[in-house]
Amino acid sequence: MLELIEIEKKFQEKKILENINFKVDKGEFFGLLGSNGAGKTTMIKLISTLLLPSHGKILLDRNEITRNNVEIKKRITTVTQEYTLRGDMSVDEIMEYQGRLYRIPREQRKRDSKDLLEFCGLMEHRKKRVRELSGGMKRKLMLCRALLPKPELVLLDEPTVGLDPFSRRQMWDLISGLNQQGMTFILTTHYMEEAQMLCKRIALIDEGRLLDIAPPLELINQLGNIAVEVVSPGGIQQEYFRNRELALAYAGSLNDPFTLRQTNLEDVFIKRLGRGID
Amino acid sequence: MAILTVLWEKWIEFKHEWLKITGTAMISPILYLLTFGLGLGMDKVVDGHSYMAFLIPGIIALTTMNASFNAIGMSLNVQRLYEKSFDNVLASPTPLGQYIIGQMIGGSLRGMYAGSLILGIAYIFGAPIQVNLIFFLVMLLNGMAFSALGVMAAIISKTHADISRFSTFVILPMTFIGNTFFPVANMPSLLKSVVQVLPLTHSSSLLRQISYGEPASLASFFIMVVYTIVFMVVALIKINISKNL
Repeated sequence: MLELIEIEKKFQEKKILENINFKVDKGEFFGLLGSNGAGKTTMIKLISTLLLPSHGKILLDRNEITRNNVEIKKRITTVTQEYTLRGDMSVDEIMEYQGRLYRIPREQRKRDSKDLLEFCGLMEHRKKRVRELSGGMKRKLMLCRALLPKPELVLLDEPTVGLDPFSRRQMWDLISGLNQQGMTFILTTHYMEEAQMLCKRIALIDEGRLLDIAPPLELINQLGNIAVEVVSPGGIQQEYFRNRELALAYAGSLNDPFTLRQTNLEDVFIKRLGRGID
Repeated sequence: MAILTVLWEKWIEFKHEWLKITGTAMISPILYLLTFGLGLGMDKVVDGHSYMAFLIPGIIALTTMNASFNAIGMSLNVQRLYEKSFDNVLASPTPLGQYIIGQMIGGSLRGMYAGSLILGIAYIFGAPIQVNLIFFLVMLLNGMAFSALGVMAAIISKTHADISRFSTFVILPMTFIGNTFFPVANMPSLLKSVVQVLPLTHSSSLLRQISYGEPASLASFFIMVVYTIVFMVVALIKINISKNL
């Protein structure tokens, strides 16, 4: 469905992305993981044409995504990391504006807005101006806005930042349900459990370069699916093993206290990207 | 049609802020009328007409210019750099040419609204000026030109301060020297040659000709159309090719 071919992005002379190539299949939930400044948001902005590449092409079903390719852009929406909402508009007006921008028929946009706002608990706030909403409400509104046109591809750039755990799970339910119905998602997040739970494949990005693309479980297995966490005077250290027996054999030789647990995506992130989560 | 969507957006903006918009649009022109018209120029005659009759078309032209430029330039600058809500428009399937034309029409209507308020006040002051349909058409065209300039300035600006600087260095000087408060003929020749190419000079001149009951200059009309098209095309090219908008 989506294809990034030899994408390079420079700001002045600094390379932000370098030789990025990958494909996302229709109906896939695809994750982009990397530390702050790795280039994830730049990639989202390139796909949504907020930025244009210095080199390379981005295709949706073999059609190049450009600022003027209206037919292609109809099929994509974005939840940006920042609150890209008009502060002077009410919740209802934000949805109405989106419906008009995507040329959704009047009856449909009214009905679907109501359904989405109801699901996200925003119906009682629909007359409030955006500037009166809390951060979490704005996040939910941005997701409602992105889903209103029923796009084929949704770009989610840290969509659940600032949401309480209940709202976050509510969002996960909504987007995973839509993914099961065939909607394609590209997600950047710093919540590893979110990525592990939702994404079918994950791209690891470091300093603008693509390190690996694989399903979460495969990335974990590459590292070793059992982790031994050792608490020593020098700090907490992890060692990874293919199976429990090898892990126990290693743990038996330790003098310091240890914990045996399943390896997770956060371990992969720390090990592969060489530093903690910023 | 995306033009209608932009007009709807401008209407919502107006609906929420109409009182502030109205007050802001009126305060400067009223002060100009009081200071220059009633204060300094009460007994003056320009080109055989009272100074008030000379001044009012100029004030209507500059009011239309300021209201249109600010309605688009300032608003779009905030939407692009502060609220970032322009990102959602840019990512949407909105044809960018239609978006700019919508902004121009919306800004122009705001300009006409402000200009009409001043016209009403001028009549209360007993201004001896004639108004016809072409007068409003010139106000509309003036608004279109400066709304297009507003889009261009908002897109080119890299910071909020840039748009204020643009106002200070481009709009403010035009307000005072653009054939508004005193005739171009009285200016030093070097300044006159600069002022004669400014768009506000031509819109002031057109409004004044109509208000005197004289035929409107086709050349000035043509120059205004050219300015409108040039500002619009520059804005469109900039939006289309800018890699880091």
